Amino acid sequence: MSAATIFIVEDELIEAEDIRQTLEKQGYHIAGICRSGESALAAFKSIQPDLVLLDIHLAGPMDGIDTAEQIHTRYHIPVIFLTAHADEASLERAKVTEPYGYVLKPFDERELRSSIEMALYKHRMEEQVREDARTIRVLANAIADAVMLLDENCQVIALNDAMSRRLKDSYPLVHTVPAIQFDHDGMFTSLESQVSAVLKTGIPVRFEEKRNDEWFEVSLHLVNGREGQKKRVLVQYHDITDHKMFESQLKKEGITQIEQNMEQFQILNDQIRNPLQAIMGYVSLDCIHYRERIMDQIAVIDTLVDRLDHGWVESEKVRRFLLRHYRDRPGSEADETSNDKPPEGT
Amino acid sequence: METILLVDDDPAIRELFAIYLEMGGFRPITAFGGSGCLEVLRQETPDLIILDLMMEPMDGWDTLRAVADARLSRLPPIVVLTGKQPVLADILRYGGMIWDYIVKPVDVKRIVSSLHAIIGREIELQEAMTAAYSAGKDRDAVQEYARLLRLVTVARNLETRRRERPWTDTIRIRSLEERLNTLHTQLGFPDHLLRESLTGTPPRDT
Repeated sequence: MSAATIFIVEDELIEAEDIRQTLEKQGYHIAGICRSGESALAAFKSIQPDLVLLDIHLAGPMDGIDTAEQIHTRYHIPVIFLTAHADEASLERAKVTEPYGYVLKPFDERELRSSIEMALYKHRMEEQVREDARTIRVLANAIADAVMLLDENCQVIALNDAMSRRLKDSYPLVHTVPAIQFDHDGMFTSLESQVSAVLKTGIPVRFEEKRNDEWFEVSLHLVNGREGQKKRVLVQYHDITDHKMFESQLKKEGITQIEQNMEQFQILNDQIRNPLQAIMGYVSLDCIHYRERIMDQIAVIDTLVDRLDHGWVESEKVRRFLLRHYRDRPGSEADETSNDKPPEGT
Repeated sequence: METILLVDDDPAIRELFAIYLEMGGFRPITAFGGSGCLEVLRQETPDLIILDLMMEPMDGWDTLRAVADARLSRLPPIVVLTGKQPVLADILRYGGMIWDYIVKPVDVKRIVSSLHAIIGREIELQEAMTAAYSAGKDRDAVQEYARLLRLVTVARNLETRRRERPWTDTIRIRSLEERLNTLHTQLGFPDHLLRESLTGTPPRDT
């Protein structure tokens, strides 16, 4: 049996006692009884009941509806109104507090019980939905990318915090304007045609976009809902500024370094061919007579090979630099070679 | 006795080539760089120049341009001998001014024995050009023909030796040869000039 805790707010003492006994008989636990809205709100600071039964016409500065409004906004505890008569004006006012039910006085025991059970069930379901939404939000905000879901008319259906910040940056009025204004000279200028292309073909689109000093990789994916549901497009902005900056840095430094190395190799190749040429010539003339000269040329080759070693070490530095920055990047060729450990320089 | 000027910054190469050139019946003179080469050319008129490329401060191509600009009474035929891999842009630019591009190391005897033929071809070319000028042929066409003849010879040699001396670039020799043939017919040059260029490497065997 449910051990739900119920809080009663009722200014008529006998009425309150009647309800308490009925509920206890039905197996509920009474969390407390108050005679005014103010004292009830004070109590909720320390007690969290599962449900509040609230007289709509309370004596005192706060009536039941004022109290319900506070409970609704501050504590998210479900409220059932108790009312002596169906007063249309009061019921209309009570609506905005989103009550979970009304029980007419004098109450019927079974009606009271079913109202309480339905309210508890509805509240549990709503909590579940809220929890699901919280989970989705946590997941959506866990990624640094700005993400949003658009419908066929480019209206934003959902977005994460990162996207929300971006939208505020480029469209300060976005929360008052229902749709993104694509004709603005902002970050979404290129998006409209892409969205319609994705909707038409269903093929994901990916492109790079520069805005101010930031680079983004923008991807659009079609999201199919249930049958008959309208198609939606997931838009993701992935910040690739670091990658782009590295690329330009690489162009400046890496390429220069490699070009220098290549030039060095070319010079060394030329220089190493001279002693080889000399040795070839001496050997054809007279090996014994030119022995000293040949040994000199071999020493020259040895020095040049040392310089080649040095060039190798310099190239290795460039390679390590490239691997460090390109490792784990999808589609990077460096991935394939990142596992073979380079031999230690001698 | 024909005089050969060897320009190379490596003393061992200079010494060695001097020995071989003498053995081959030439009178060798040497210079260690571009300015040295120009210095020698003020007093001597060699029959051929063997030119290294990687030199400081004037490299071989700088030297080649300087020699061409020196307004010598007779510009000797030039052969490049270098450790540097040929680069297409260089070959297209300077190939018309040289007769061969040889990458070290090579059999020195083979080089020395090919020099007579090159000297002979340059003389034949000069004679044919003089005859063409006297016959009132277009000067520009005659000079283009001479440049193309040398360039095609160089390119042919590089292609023939590609197996032993691979180089990364490829010259579209075919189109150069077509232009050369057209000029040849137009200017009425003697056929043997062309035949030797189109058959590739000049004889190298001793």
